[in-house]
Amino acid sequence: MTTSVTELLYVARDPAWAPWAVQYFFLIGLSYGCFLLSVPGLAFRREGWRDLGRAALLGALICGLVAPVALLSDLNQPGRFANFYLRPNLGSWMARGAFFIPAYVGGLVLYGWAALAPDFRAAAGLGGPLAPVRRLLGGPDRPALVRGLGLFTLAAAVAVALYTGVEVMVVHSRPLWNTALLPAQFAATALMGALGLTLLIERFVLAHDVLVERRLARLLALVLVLVAAVGALWFALALFVPGSTEARALAQVAGSEVWRLNAIWLAAAVALPFVVAVVKPAGTGWLTGLLALNAAWMFRWTVFVGGQDIPKTGAGWYVHSLALGPEGLLGILGTAGLCLVVLVVLTTLVPWSGSATVRPSTLPAGA
Amino acid sequence: MDRSRRDFLRNIGRVTAGAPVALASGTVAAVAAGAPAPVHHWAMVVDVAKCIGCQACTVACIMENRVPENAFRTFVSTYEVAEGDVTRLAMLPRLCNHCDEPPCVPVCPVGATFKAPDGEVLVDGDACVGCGYCVQACPYDARFINAETRTADKCTFCAHRVEAGLLPACVETCVGGARIFGDLADPSSTVSKLLKERGGEAKVLKPEEKTRPNVFYLGLDERFAGRVDAVPTLWRPTEQRV
Repeated sequence: MTTSVTELLYVARDPAWAPWAVQYFFLIGLSYGCFLLSVPGLAFRREGWRDLGRAALLGALICGLVAPVALLSDLNQPGRFANFYLRPNLGSWMARGAFFIPAYVGGLVLYGWAALAPDFRAAAGLGGPLAPVRRLLGGPDRPALVRGLGLFTLAAAVAVALYTGVEVMVVHSRPLWNTALLPAQFAATALMGALGLTLLIERFVLAHDVLVERRLARLLALVLVLVAAVGALWFALALFVPGSTEARALAQVAGSEVWRLNAIWLAAAVALPFVVAVVKPAGTGWLTGLLALNAAWMFRWTVFVGGQDIPKTGAGWYVHSLALGPEGLLGILGTAGLCLVVLVVLTTLVPWSGSATVRPSTLPAGA
Repeated sequence: MDRSRRDFLRNIGRVTAGAPVALASGTVAAVAAGAPAPVHHWAMVVDVAKCIGCQACTVACIMENRVPENAFRTFVSTYEVAEGDVTRLAMLPRLCNHCDEPPCVPVCPVGATFKAPDGEVLVDGDACVGCGYCVQACPYDARFINAETRTADKCTFCAHRVEAGLLPACVETCVGGARIFGDLADPSSTVSKLLKERGGEAKVLKPEEKTRPNVFYLGLDERFAGRVDAVPTLWRPTEQRV
């Protein structure tokens, strides 16, 4: 006997986490990823990592300062943010995150200041309208302080990476989110995006150095392998472990053409920069950087917005179009604009030595 | 207080206009005397065979609770089931399940969502930051962000009415008497008796979530207990306005 069920009446639910949430998770991921990249060169003075570290620090600061704005904007009652501290429910990962974020951002700013203090002092000596501010911020080179602040910020960054992943992972009602692999996926794609951003900053904002670009390309290739490996593990669990949360998630989206396209896009966005980074690591940083950023953003968009398009009890999928206002496209553009403003402020105020200077002589012939 | 609308009307002789006041006064007197306040365990039993899908409950809830456009605290999802040559309609009234293990409560970062002593899962609208975490955590899609208050919103079992000795609006208005509301802590209540007599038949939605719901369904087709595998039709009222 053939049986068919048609849902005649069900109601659509709006996503509770708007594109602002995607922006937050994207930016905070880029920030802690960039910060991690800066640690070897700036906190531990590792040979050959200094310029890479400075480019990464700039990326960490831009995204780290803008991310909390995106997070506040995602609240429907942003004026009540003080409730996170006045009446915290510390059993909630979101409440814990409310303490991790200021620790991380505060630590990052102090770490950045300590690392750049000698440059501020040197730049103040050159005069100019910003000299008083730079004099105020300038100071001697204090490796122990930079290392100490770096280690504190490292702990906070790990806490942020952990909370952003686990906060979503614990949502049992959504199989797509409720996988133990999600924190690893967020962290790996955050590193991927951070390498992409550092490649772009190194290429277009600070002094371009082919050696730095090659190192970043190698790192990106490694991280892309890690991203692909975690993705492959997710698919393996989904395909070969019946009843697993991954299998339930795959079953929910398997019939969707949109999800199939998203999967192909993401796979291509990981494979393509890998091939380019391996085959031609010099001179292609702008391309691999953009592709890595795109993949990191797409992953979060797919997880958050796509995940919320799956009804928990109804059939089919909720269909939402991106709103054009502040809750949608304007919000995304707004965070991008804010990043640009912070970039302008930081590159104006902070003496990133050799900024905006491309040194073609460092390019190898034919690169 | 008694249970379904029909029971309620049957007992109208006893439940007079002064009853809510008497109930409230009694509570205050008991507390004042140092006696423990009466504790209820509110629950709802939905007899799906009696639901005719009229959506009177949906409308009553919207009117009672000023639920904004495109949002619902309760509604009746409706399915057409074709088996061979026979086609029938299946109704499933949905609402917050007021779980005993509510996944929405522990995730709330500011403790605005809480389990009331009488069993309702409620939201302190003055504390809610509108983060939407509880909306994500609810396995029943029973929560939403109220576009007007900008806070989490959901069915409260009409706590304001129940406190006044009245029935929830959806129960009050249910044409077929499909929704039965009452106190599981009272063995003589209709819900207690129903669950005792027809306990084997009573089901909850998504039992695998282990949320221990307080909304029970009699005559529920297993196919509708979880995410329904069906040809979809989603309804967004403002998109179908003529």
